[in-house]
Amino acid sequence: MANESGQVYGLTILSPIKEEQRLDIDHATQLRWYLCSLPKDHTSPFAKINSTYLARLVVLDDVVFVGHPACEEHLKSRYLIFETNFDGDLDGYLTRMAKEVPEFVDKVWQHCVGYPGLNNRHEFIRYMKQCQVTTTFFFADVNDHTVQQTLTALQTQSALAHFVEKTQGKPPEELQKLFGTFLSHLDAAKPPLPGDRGEKFPSEDRPHD
Amino acid sequence: MNAVTPMKPWKTPLLRVLFFVVGTIKWFQSGLKDLSFIHFARWVIVRRDQFPHVKAEQPREDLRYDYLFFFSNFNGTWNQYIDAFSAVLSSGLNAIWSGSEKFPGSVPVTPFKDYIRVVQFDTDYYYNCYPKATTNDVKAALRVQDELDEFRKTSQTLPPEQFKKAFQEFLVKVQADLGSTGVAPVGT
Repeated sequence: MANESGQVYGLTILSPIKEEQRLDIDHATQLRWYLCSLPKDHTSPFAKINSTYLARLVVLDDVVFVGHPACEEHLKSRYLIFETNFDGDLDGYLTRMAKEVPEFVDKVWQHCVGYPGLNNRHEFIRYMKQCQVTTTFFFADVNDHTVQQTLTALQTQSALAHFVEKTQGKPPEELQKLFGTFLSHLDAAKPPLPGDRGEKFPSEDRPHD
Repeated sequence: MNAVTPMKPWKTPLLRVLFFVVGTIKWFQSGLKDLSFIHFARWVIVRRDQFPHVKAEQPREDLRYDYLFFFSNFNGTWNQYIDAFSAVLSSGLNAIWSGSEKFPGSVPVTPFKDYIRVVQFDTDYYYNCYPKATTNDVKAALRVQDELDEFRKTSQTLPPEQFKKAFQEFLVKVQADLGSTGVAPVGT
């Protein structure tokens, strides 16, 4: 199926945005304001739905006129494009959106035509699927790991680099003991936070860097 | 990066066949894989009568063109991305976008960039679960994790001298993958 590559699902949604002449500030602008205010780090709504690799929200004002002799034409609606890449299945992901970040979903899709709200989760899922467009070709460079596995691997990579640097030239007994301690710390480490931009990777604390 | 280009509707089936072939025969994706700075990319053809219509009050679109949407998640700068695309994948890009109106070809790069500037539109919100990691970082980290998992299984009961030798062999395997992640330097 074109929406999937390995374990990764590529969801593309085009939701028509409401147009109301009576408003001083139109829905598209309100939506853009809200999107501007959203955090992009580990406090992002998508960090809560922790199977999300990368996601974007875009207000599409119109299609593009590339110049004559092409025809100039315009959309009758503006669309909210929701493009997300996640591990797992679509129904599970949409259910998580409705359950885990309902305020975010409401604040975004309240500006869209036909949004049924979240009182009935099945209606919400039906609506999102109604707005879905099938991906024609989806490329995922790494498609055989979950987000958590990937983040854990990045944490391991960083920690191991730090360990190697600290233990160069140690005698065998001490190295083995330190390696055991290193593994224990690694196993006990908190799972990495998706979206974290903090300066928490040990490799970045190295004084000579 | 987001882009949308108009296509004459009769060209749409041809492009679908091309994508089907590229999706089915993985060899055709090797160029994209080898570039190794694209986490995820997608092309979405929306036919002129397929823009979602969810309620009677929403006016129906009345379009003459089908539209090809392109969304890419890459590391590096815009210029690096387009330059690499143009230099390495020009025939693939030409095959994909040749059906789009006024596409100038991906070589030479200046008109290609001019075209992209016209058809590109901005992202309002972007989230990345690993904001400091490039595609190569992700691949390297996964290799390190696999090697470490294997090493800890086989090394735990070794006497110290043999452990150190095995550890050094393990390091030789993973040393090229132990770079640190972080904010990328500014490119030009």
